[in-house]
Amino acid sequence: MGVRAPRAPVLRRLWRVREASTLAILLLEIVFFGWYLWPEYGTYHPFLNSANALLVLKYSSIYGIAAIGAAIVIISGGIDLSPGAVIALASVVTGGLFVEGGWGLGPSVVAGLLVGVASGLLVSLLVIAVQLPPFIATLGAMGIVRGVGFVVTEGRYYDLSRLLPRAWHPFGIPLDWWPPTVMITLALVFHVAMHKLQWGRAVYATGGNETAALFSGISLPRIKTSVYLISAVLAAVSGVVLALVQGQGKADLAMGYELDIIASAVVGGASLSGGRGSVIGAVLGALIFGVLRNALAQIPGATFYDRMIVGMVVIVIVVMDQILVKRGA
Amino acid sequence: MPGLEFHDIHKSFGAVRALRGVSLSVLPGETHALIGENGAGKSTLLKILAGVVTPDAGDIALDDHRLSLKGPREALVHGIGMVYQESLMFPNLTVSGNIFAGRELIGRGGVLREREMRSRTRDLLARLHLALAPEAPMEHLSAAHAQLVQVARALAFDCRVLVLDEPTTALTLAEAEHLFRILGDLRSRGVTILYVSHRIPEVFRLCDRITVLRDGQYVGTYDRAAVAHDDIVRAMVGRDLPPRTIEHAAADGDVVLEVRGLARPPALADASLTVRRGEIVGIFGLVGSGRSELLETIFGLRRATRGEVIVSGRRLRGGGVIEAARAGIALVPEDRQRQALLFNLTLRHNLVLPRAVAERTMVVRAPEERRFSSGLLQALRIKAPGVETTPDQLSGGNQQKVVLARWLGIEPRVFLLDEPTKGVDIGAKDEIHAIIRQKAAAGAACVVVSSDLPEVLAMAHRVVVMREGVIQGELAADAANEESVMRLATAPVRRAS
Repeated sequence: MGVRAPRAPVLRRLWRVREASTLAILLLEIVFFGWYLWPEYGTYHPFLNSANALLVLKYSSIYGIAAIGAAIVIISGGIDLSPGAVIALASVVTGGLFVEGGWGLGPSVVAGLLVGVASGLLVSLLVIAVQLPPFIATLGAMGIVRGVGFVVTEGRYYDLSRLLPRAWHPFGIPLDWWPPTVMITLALVFHVAMHKLQWGRAVYATGGNETAALFSGISLPRIKTSVYLISAVLAAVSGVVLALVQGQGKADLAMGYELDIIASAVVGGASLSGGRGSVIGAVLGALIFGVLRNALAQIPGATFYDRMIVGMVVIVIVVMDQILVKRGA
Repeated sequence: MPGLEFHDIHKSFGAVRALRGVSLSVLPGETHALIGENGAGKSTLLKILAGVVTPDAGDIALDDHRLSLKGPREALVHGIGMVYQESLMFPNLTVSGNIFAGRELIGRGGVLREREMRSRTRDLLARLHLALAPEAPMEHLSAAHAQLVQVARALAFDCRVLVLDEPTTALTLAEAEHLFRILGDLRSRGVTILYVSHRIPEVFRLCDRITVLRDGQYVGTYDRAAVAHDDIVRAMVGRDLPPRTIEHAAADGDVVLEVRGLARPPALADASLTVRRGEIVGIFGLVGSGRSELLETIFGLRRATRGEVIVSGRRLRGGGVIEAARAGIALVPEDRQRQALLFNLTLRHNLVLPRAVAERTMVVRAPEERRFSSGLLQALRIKAPGVETTPDQLSGGNQQKVVLARWLGIEPRVFLLDEPTKGVDIGAKDEIHAIIRQKAAAGAACVVVSSDLPEVLAMAHRVVVMREGVIQGELAADAANEESVMRLATAPVRRAS
């Protein structure tokens, strides 16, 4: 005590990295289910195999891509409830234009992403010009965007899979590898942006103390527009990826995803009071839930407990994280 | 015969040793002052007494009865009432709701006994000579009344020891007088008072004995009658302070800042002002005179409805803070906790942010920023473990120096300071004054708003007096004294034609 420690050992320093505890929880979870689901001698492990790992990655990525945006919004001191709806409408627009509109795949994908731009601009307008609290603005946007999906489709759904090539390797990467590739690339890009760009620092500053950010000359409208735009566009990316991988565009897709997406960001260290969080953490959070759902589905009878366990896990992880952070400080 | 006793209290927060073996005793019925610079450990000691912070070692006894304070509630149960510096009140509740918050009188079936609480509130307010209705909403009260409601809250439940933390910070002279009368009254009724302050004149007026803390250690306890003002200062600071030199050297450089007919109703009606290179202009006015609004409008935080701001001959076009900062204007705001510091980011980010905004930096260059910000820490002699710590690790005075330092990074031509030494101790105050003088000597045009009149008189080459959003007049250094300034500040407003 008293004398300052010269330099903490490597492990301690690693532990101070914000994402370390989330990663540790993910690894513990994998080890636990690997042990719990260990098969009889000589039979195939239902959980620890490469096909299953790819499956988990593929589906977690849908949440994970949107959770990157959710984390950024939460760090800025806001909240976004619209990503589930944006995912659905993006899948509908891409699917509809590609299947019924006769558009090429490229333009259809771009149109799907524009759903995100439109929704993000709508939310920004409501938050900045109309001065609505983000919760209300995005709750409204969620309803409107979801509603547009139903109005457009009138109950139909677009089957993309029959028009897409079999064993498709877009740009040389197998289709199933695309979601995780997109997620990891985006996570790295936004991680760097949050820490190496003045923009990222301004996002943290805005979430930490909005008045002080204003007094420092940060343009709050610009920062808020950027975070809601990014969140909605990333949700649209999720939607397009989902449409291509699952081969369908449907208005009732991704129902209730917004809460899982927010939960992923929170489990990954984002503080709902703003100013704290990590995009890598959010992606790890999405993987924690992906592994959990996948493993529970393989335990007989556990599927009924799925939602309950997920809810408890959110609470336990956030509490554990608080304890770990306090001890580390 | 012992009253309230602290015995060998130790407390560390991480590497910061806030208290290092503090012992002191407050006799029953006396008014005891606890003074020390910011960071001396006063607040930590109070938090321990309130049961908000647990000490690492040592204990507290009240009338030979050892207290184990496990939470704020227990302090109350033992008859220790706290009046905090920041009003910890509920603006949305009534006066009586605030007094009984958390200790509501409850009747059968859990129903609140509103009428009884209101009538007891009425009695308490009468005891404090406060003309307030128990039903009045808290948010309509002045700072002074809010403070006195806190005193009433402490007294509501058989309070033997009343603890006040810097109670006069937000009060005008007349309001402070009222508070002092009430405290004198309570003392004559046998209430023990522990009075924390760094305003030495107040302490001398009010207290029987004075205990000084410095750097988390007990320095000594002095009888008021047997000690002089300067002895206390020396005990607090631990060194002799140089006598205050008043440099009234009038500047005759070029006009750097020119404000013409600036208005932003209702707070700011009409303000014109010129500040030359190297000049320090003091702005004095009572609360509500529009001083802060003037600075904030010059800085582009508020859009002026009329008038213009010209910096070195270039007129600002209402482009907000970014334009102002690029023109070389810096503002040190009044409330460092709320308006200046980012507690979720490290000192480096805090110190670099205004420069990054003004220079429209795109990419963060950590090594350069680390060099730049540790240079600022050194230049302003800010005591901090390093640039990668968060501001909450620093004492109040050092936090305030960080707020100054972050704007010095843009090499301001116009340096606006709103209450730069509010809530800061004597040592830090002198250092902040020195920084401002040094910046002026280096050619900055400085505008200092302060409600501390001696400070304005000691620093400024000219004193501008405001009232009700209008500039009432201007006094040169040699014509400005407490009387002439106060006369202008309270004179009827001259409306612009």
